[in-house]
Amino acid sequence: VNPAISKGGRRTLWIAFWFLVVFLYAPIVILIIFSFNDSEIVSFPWLGFTLRWYKAFVHAPALLDALQTSLLVATMTAVVATALAIPASIALVRRRFFGKGLVSGLMLAPLVIPLVVLGVSLLILFNAIGFPLGPITAAIGHVVIAMPFAILTMVPRLERIPPALEEASRDLGATAMNTFRLITFPLLVPALISAFLISFTISFDELVIASFIVGDQVTFPVYLYSQLRLPERLPMVIAVAVLILIVSVIVVVASEVGRFLSERRLEAQTGMAADEYGSLRAGKG
Amino acid sequence: MAAEHTGEVLAAPRTRRRRGTAKVNLGLISVPLLWIVLFFLVPVVLVALYSVGVLTLISYDKYLSLQAWRDFLHSSTYLGSPLGRGLFWKSMKMSLGVSITCVILAYPVAYMLALVAGRRKYTLLLVIITPFLTSYLLRVLAWRVLLNPHGVIQEALRGIGVLGDESILSWMYNSIFAVYLVLAYAWVPFVALPIFVALESLDLQMLEASSDLGASRWTTFRRVTLPMSMPGVIAAFVFVFIPTIGEFVTPQIVGGKGGYLFGNVIQSSFSASFDWQLGSAMAVFMLAAVTILLAIFGRYLNVRTVAE
Repeated sequence: VNPAISKGGRRTLWIAFWFLVVFLYAPIVILIIFSFNDSEIVSFPWLGFTLRWYKAFVHAPALLDALQTSLLVATMTAVVATALAIPASIALVRRRFFGKGLVSGLMLAPLVIPLVVLGVSLLILFNAIGFPLGPITAAIGHVVIAMPFAILTMVPRLERIPPALEEASRDLGATAMNTFRLITFPLLVPALISAFLISFTISFDELVIASFIVGDQVTFPVYLYSQLRLPERLPMVIAVAVLILIVSVIVVVASEVGRFLSERRLEAQTGMAADEYGSLRAGKG
Repeated sequence: MAAEHTGEVLAAPRTRRRRGTAKVNLGLISVPLLWIVLFFLVPVVLVALYSVGVLTLISYDKYLSLQAWRDFLHSSTYLGSPLGRGLFWKSMKMSLGVSITCVILAYPVAYMLALVAGRRKYTLLLVIITPFLTSYLLRVLAWRVLLNPHGVIQEALRGIGVLGDESILSWMYNSIFAVYLVLAYAWVPFVALPIFVALESLDLQMLEASSDLGASRWTTFRRVTLPMSMPGVIAAFVFVFIPTIGEFVTPQIVGGKGGYLFGNVIQSSFSASFDWQLGSAMAVFMLAAVTILLAIFGRYLNVRTVAE
């Protein structure tokens, strides 16, 4: 007998689950269907199947520019956020130092600030120091909100890499740098890829901060947002957004599955090595 | 011989390590920390200073003046639109309603996945979460396409004759309802995650113990499961409340005049009316509200539950 649920309750909960799934996916599916409608209005009546909205954006230079800017900003964000998250996570997991609680709180604080507040704050900062707004300022802002996610992706992975492996490397005479390069880093790679993809996705989709500090060279979400005033552009904009949606879902799901698989492999590999080293040390000690 | 030799090698790096520790710690944490200080902490302090005119940036700014705060706290309208406290409370109510709705919608599903679904639970959880990982703007846009007077829903209702050809359902679009619905839609997947994590770490033996001691399933839920999952519920609540309190994108896309929120007046004081000081005062006020919220609920929060 399952103490968590009765038979009837089980059926009710499954219905609740599928109800939620339909609620979550139906709007997206309907949007995708109507993006093929041969009509200027994304709605009924259905005037036939067309791919013209999907072809139209190739001839919309402003849209392509915005996509390019978004790729640039997201790449810069992902590279910097991941690069900064590596030493930060190592310090938070492996090291003890004064004020660690405060530091980790500060590093994760951007998770709990309304983005509109961060957006106007950065706008005022860049105006005050006279730094011109552009893709770089947008990327700076995006790193602030992406880094906590990158850190939170790496920390659990680091915690699962037994410190004994690094100690073994140091005991065998490797420098700290070599230990990182040869032991920690290779084991960290799957989390690194996840952190990179998460940061990239956050930046690519981010509208609020970008709308304040990206300047005239707008990113794709800012462009899309501004086009909503022009109903005739809507079908084309939706078509592009659908394409991006499909790509991003594939990337995200693939990376989640990849992370899950590599987690299993890590446990198998490092568990064995750490056990051997542990018994070796115990024997010698 | 061999054992002694190993002993030496083991001992050697230890001393070397200890000496360099402080420097290594500083080296590891300095750049990421500097980034957060420069581009997070400093700007927030700067906004507070700017709202009282310690520094001025655009021509409308008043040097060393509490005018922006007075405007915000005392006047009920500004440039013809409702302002300040009224909109702030409207946003608070909206965020509260959305957070509670999300928790109520997500809890049974998280419960089902964590305690009933068995081995498929992670796959099914991914099914729930995936929409959250896709474009926010597109998901809001989807509802504009569904809800607007000539959108999919109302046209379909006209098609089957439920709605007259000329009539529209005005409550459905450009309304407070539309904002509420779309925000709840957007945040439900995110809420499921921390509740799932809290429920999953529940020891099933405790539920068995409870039922062995004669408690009904409902009593077990009320007295054991629910209290133990509260940290997840609170985390979920806070992590929906905070982003939605500053929301201006969704109100602008599906909310119209009726759905205008506090975030919108902040945004438009920077992009339309160019009263940056007023906008800053309101941003600082919002941040203060969030800080109070975190001070109350902070100890229940485990940020990890939302990221793993």
